[in-house]
Amino acid sequence: MQRATDCVLKHGFVRVLYSINTRNVPAAINRVNSSMLCRKYTVLPPPRDKEEKAMLDSMLRVDHAGEYGANCIYAGQMAVLGRTQSGPLIQNMWDQEKIHLQKFNEILGENRVRPTVMLPLWNIAGFLLGASTALLGKEGAMACTVAVEESISEHYNSQIRALMEEDPDRYTELLQLIKEFRDDEMEHHDTGLEHDAESVPGYMILKTLIQAGCKAAIYISQRI
Amino acid sequence: MAALIRSLRAVRSLRGLGSVVATTCPASLYGGLRRGFHRAALLASDSKSDQTVPPPSHHEHYQHEDPWPNTSYQDQSGEQAEDYETEDQLQARILTAALEFVPQHGWTVEAIAAGAETLGLSAASAGMFDNGAGDLVLHFVGQCNVQLTEILAEEHNQVQLGQAEKKKTADFLRHAVETRLRMLVPYIDTWPQAMSLLLLPHNIPESLKHLSTLVDDIWYYAGDRSTDMSWYTRRAALTGIYNTTELVMVQDSSPDFEETWVFLDNRIRDVVNMANTAKQVQATGEAVVQGLMGAAVTLKNITGVNQRR
Repeated sequence: MQRATDCVLKHGFVRVLYSINTRNVPAAINRVNSSMLCRKYTVLPPPRDKEEKAMLDSMLRVDHAGEYGANCIYAGQMAVLGRTQSGPLIQNMWDQEKIHLQKFNEILGENRVRPTVMLPLWNIAGFLLGASTALLGKEGAMACTVAVEESISEHYNSQIRALMEEDPDRYTELLQLIKEFRDDEMEHHDTGLEHDAESVPGYMILKTLIQAGCKAAIYISQRI
Repeated sequence: MAALIRSLRAVRSLRGLGSVVATTCPASLYGGLRRGFHRAALLASDSKSDQTVPPPSHHEHYQHEDPWPNTSYQDQSGEQAEDYETEDQLQARILTAALEFVPQHGWTVEAIAAGAETLGLSAASAGMFDNGAGDLVLHFVGQCNVQLTEILAEEHNQVQLGQAEKKKTADFLRHAVETRLRMLVPYIDTWPQAMSLLLLPHNIPESLKHLSTLVDDIWYYAGDRSTDMSWYTRRAALTGIYNTTELVMVQDSSPDFEETWVFLDNRIRDVVNMANTAKQVQATGEAVVQGLMGAAVTLKNITGVNQRR
C-alpha cells in the first residue's frame, strides 16, 4: 500500500493532470500506417443544414469526451500500477487511446465543434476512477477497463447504427473511423477479460456502477 | 375575407414587376388595408395600360379576376423561380432599406415603415414584424456579423495565398473587433437605444446567439483550434472585451473614437498578460511539485526508509 501511494506521488498527479494532451505519442505503432488515421483529408461531409450540423456536433462532442475520459482513466491506472508487472500492458492500451484522442482533437478543430464544458470534471473523475480501481490491484484495473470499454463499444455501435440509418454513403469515412475505434475498444475489453478482470471481488457491482456512470457521462456530454 | 386572400394570391404571383404588395397587416389598420387593396387593384388591372383605376368599393364587394397562374403559398415546396421571393427575403429587404432611416427615426417601427415605403410598399407592412424595432436591430447585428465573417475569410485567403502576412493573435483580435465596431459608427448616436432593445428579455436568446457566433468566428479565423477548456475561456474573454469596448464607444466623443481603440488595446493586452501569467503559474506549480518530490525522496534516503532489504 505504501508502495502504491509512493507510485501515485512519484508519477506526479499534477503533471499527469496537465499533460493529458498527446505530446508523447510513441511512433512505433505499425497499425497507424495502414489505418485511415494517417490520411489527412476531412472525415466529415460538409453539413447541408443546421440539424445535420447539430447531430454531428453532438456525436463528435461525446466521442471526444469519451476518449478524453478513457485517457484520464488509463493515466490514473498507470499512476498506481505503472511500476508493476501490468504496467506495459496498461501503457500499451493508453497509447492507443492517445491516438484516438488526437484524431478527435483534429476533427473537432477542423469542423468547429464545441468541446463539452464538462471536460475538467471528466478529467478528475476519470483519474480518480482509474486510480481507485487500480488500488484494488491489477484485477480491479482490468475490471474497470472491461466495464468502460464495454460501455464505449456499445455507444460507438449505437452511433454506427444511427449513421447507417441516416445515410451510409454520405458518412462512409466517419463510419469507417468509428468502426476502427470500436474494434480497438473491443480489443481492450477482451484484453481486460483475459487478464483476470472477473476475479476481482464484487466484479458485478463494480461493473454495474462504472457502466451507469459512463451512461450518465455520455448523456450529459451529448447535451452540454 | 375571401377577397383578401384572392388579392394576396394575385400579389404573390406577380413576376418581373419591381414591387410586391404585402397586405398581411392586422385588421386594425383598416386604412392601410384599403390602400393595400387600392394598390392590388392597380396591379391587378392591366399593368401596361394607362387605364384609370376603378374606385375601390367596400372590400366585401370587390371582384377580381385572377389572370396569373396560382403559385401561392400552397406551392412553396420544390424549386422556386428566380424572381420569386420568400417572405424572409422580403423582410430582409425591408429591414435593410429601413436602416437608412434609423438616424432620423431611431430604432423604431417608424423607421421600418419608412423603409417599406422606399421599396414601394405600404407603410402598414411594418406590421408584419411582430417584434417591431427588435427585429430591425437583430437584422442589423446579423448583417454586420456576416460582413465581418466575409472580411475575415477574405483576409484568411490572402494569408493562405501568401499575399499577406499572418497577424499575431493580439493584433488579429484588435483588428477584428475594431472592424466590427466601426460598422456601428453611422448609427452610433442611436446605438444606446439599440443596445437596450437587445437587452429586452424576449430578444436576449437571439442577441446572445449573434454574439456567440461573432466571437466564435473571430477566434476561428484567429487560428484557435483548441478542444479543451481554453475554448470556453478564450470566447468568454473576447465577449467581455467586445461588450466593454462597445459600451466605451457609445459614450466616446474623441475624434475617430481614438479613446475606444486605446481602451481596446489595453483590454486585449490585459487578456494576453493573463494568459501568459496563467502559463507561468502552471510551469511554476509543476516545478514546485518536482522540487517537493525531490525533497521527499532525499528525506527518505537520509532517514533510511528507502532501503531495499
